[in-house]
Amino acid sequence: MSGNYAQQDPLQQPYDAIVVGSGATGGWAAKQLAEAGLRVALLEAGRAISPKEFTEHMPSYKLRYRDHSPEIVRTRPVQKQCYACMEYNYEWFVNDLENPYSTPAGKPFTWQRLRVLGGRSLVWGRQSYRLSDADFKAASRDGYGDDWPISYADLAPYYDIVERYVGISGAAEGNEMLPDGRFLPPMKMSCGEVLLRERVKAKFGYTVTIGRAAVLTQNYNGRLACHYCGPCERGCMTFSYFSSPFTTVKDAVASGKCTLITNAVVSHVDMDNALNKAQGVTYVDRLTRQVKEVRGKAVILCAQALESTRILLNSSTREYPKGLANSSGALGHYLMDHVVGGGASGRLPDFKTLPDANEPQRPNGIYIPRFRNTPSGNKHSRFIRGYGYQGGAGAEFNMSAEGYGASFKKAVKEGIYGIGLGGFGESLARWDNYVEIDTNLKDAWGIPALHIVMAHGDNEVALMEDAAATAAEMLESAGAKDIRVQANVEMPGMAIHELGTARMGADPKKAVLNPFNQTHDVKNLFVMDGASFVSSACQNPTLTMMAITVRACDQLIDRFHKNDI
Amino acid sequence: MKRRELLRAGVLASAAAALPRTPALAQNTAPSPELTPAQSGVDASKDLAAPGWKPLFLDAHQNETLIVLSDLILPATDTPGAKEALVNRYIDLVLAAETPETQRAFLNSLGYLDGESMRRYQAAFRYLKREDQDDLLHALAYPRANSGWTGEAGGPDVGHGHFEQLKQRIITAYYSSQTGERELGWDGAFAHGSYEGCNHPEGSHK
Repeated sequence: MSGNYAQQDPLQQPYDAIVVGSGATGGWAAKQLAEAGLRVALLEAGRAISPKEFTEHMPSYKLRYRDHSPEIVRTRPVQKQCYACMEYNYEWFVNDLENPYSTPAGKPFTWQRLRVLGGRSLVWGRQSYRLSDADFKAASRDGYGDDWPISYADLAPYYDIVERYVGISGAAEGNEMLPDGRFLPPMKMSCGEVLLRERVKAKFGYTVTIGRAAVLTQNYNGRLACHYCGPCERGCMTFSYFSSPFTTVKDAVASGKCTLITNAVVSHVDMDNALNKAQGVTYVDRLTRQVKEVRGKAVILCAQALESTRILLNSSTREYPKGLANSSGALGHYLMDHVVGGGASGRLPDFKTLPDANEPQRPNGIYIPRFRNTPSGNKHSRFIRGYGYQGGAGAEFNMSAEGYGASFKKAVKEGIYGIGLGGFGESLARWDNYVEIDTNLKDAWGIPALHIVMAHGDNEVALMEDAAATAAEMLESAGAKDIRVQANVEMPGMAIHELGTARMGADPKKAVLNPFNQTHDVKNLFVMDGASFVSSACQNPTLTMMAITVRACDQLIDRFHKNDI
Repeated sequence: MKRRELLRAGVLASAAAALPRTPALAQNTAPSPELTPAQSGVDASKDLAAPGWKPLFLDAHQNETLIVLSDLILPATDTPGAKEALVNRYIDLVLAAETPETQRAFLNSLGYLDGESMRRYQAAFRYLKREDQDDLLHALAYPRANSGWTGEAGGPDVGHGHFEQLKQRIITAYYSSQTGERELGWDGAFAHGSYEGCNHPEGSHK
């Protein structure tokens, strides 16, 4: 079994680098470091994965409950809150009974987690957007919070590297809030989306663009173009959407310099207190429950924001009583997750297209970049920052047709032409949104669990109210009827964009990480994932996480070459 | 928690999940550990058509009522209806795995239908003449206008609510079946070329 890898490994310990987590960021760290010649141990808490378990081409009628299983909720009541956790693939998601966390009364937080090689990159939404200096330097403009210690110019070359490798389909728009990237050809818009694009440009002056998606529109980098079957979250036999096991992790292992250790549930970082250096990590074998250690010259946490922070909080020493590398006290704080729940939907009665069960399924929608509080626009009176929309339009079978009988059957097939927009709003970094260790709660491997405290604030509520009202106006401009407005604020975690809790910053008194994701306190300890974000912006964050990881690895490789680690 | 305890808990849980409810299901209940049945390649599509099928949750009268009701909501036309799609069997299977609250809610709605039928026609729904069944359903199927026939204007439309509950279950069961997929015109293939989207000249949508 995989638990023996460490002992059998020809690379021998200590490794040059230990990477914890094999998802979007961990895969990149392992690839970059191993391809640069460093000897890497890549630890994954879950099992390995095989394309044989992909189910994207299995019709739901072959499933016992046809993807309406009431049983998943017994072991995965939290995971089931995400659409992607389904009867097809629920085993990829953690068993909530084995992986508990707590929240205060009245402040629910949903925490979506996968423990399997590749982590959430297997089921992610694939939307890939750059941040701009309007995001990195937002605090300087509106006075709220802190600027990032890096600017767009620092990250742009790394966005390029990531995009060139991953393959992002999209259209260049020259929008000041959404820098263009190195795109593969964009996917097409539906007729309704084209109409919305034209009307929104004419009436509001805003941009409606096709989603920028980590889904290939042509054969690229050894992977095949999308065949438009639809449900990416069940896997892809042609590897057309980006997931780490079949790209970055594969490259890392192929380099001969990376040892993959699966089923390694990391509990904490081990310190050499005399030298103030991390000397490795301790993990529990997920299957045998044996406790094991791995030794390395550098420790890199890519376990996803909250897990990386949990590991640091569980690594307290006498020198760092409030969590490892936490002399700032900021570790665990400034938790963010994009606010969702504001939007509108309706139908476009002028489009007579019938729904077609054999139409290619586009795994992507449209995107409207942020238009509030832009550098060239006016300041909004009720909120700072802004939101972007995801959405789409097309013919659908009309399952909500009225009545019954033969006329109902006919109405279903006549369909409706639906259109909808949903906002993703910036979540302000606030000290009061935080995680800490719940001293009364452990997971199935005996590792202390998190207590997560987060609530969206007034600014997030105002964003969603505006997102709802403005979406309705945009749909109306396209001639939509029966417009339903939704001005909710969903519980934190629902965007599955957890960010912050080990933020970067130039000042060691205020931030956990330096601008290269190295902890201020411990020079060979790094956090290279969403935990490092200073602000959330409103764009889907994975592309930026990957670019930050590649940038941080670039500097780490330099330091290795200079023997400075 | 001790390792042995964890292991034992795991074994019992998977044994319970794998326990066949009817002999016909036995062949499909050996999932690989840590894979869903779907990921293991299990095809459960023939289970409901097994000879000797018996309901797991519904009693005989409820089952017969559901067959009659589902075939009124989704009748055979030029394509098969709910009865042929075994909609009742699927709903029974799902209900058997549902929470007691959800089970009760479904039986309440089915009971309401029979209650209304008894009140108006002094017979349970499934024994009514076809036109009486239709009259009753028609009265429940559309949201009541304010001066509704029941004389309960202003209050919640209880009957319509029950109807919608039953209808949702039935249409989910029907359109998720292989029969339902065919009804919607699916040809059974998964790839149909590239997504072509709008090919009209710019500005042609007004």
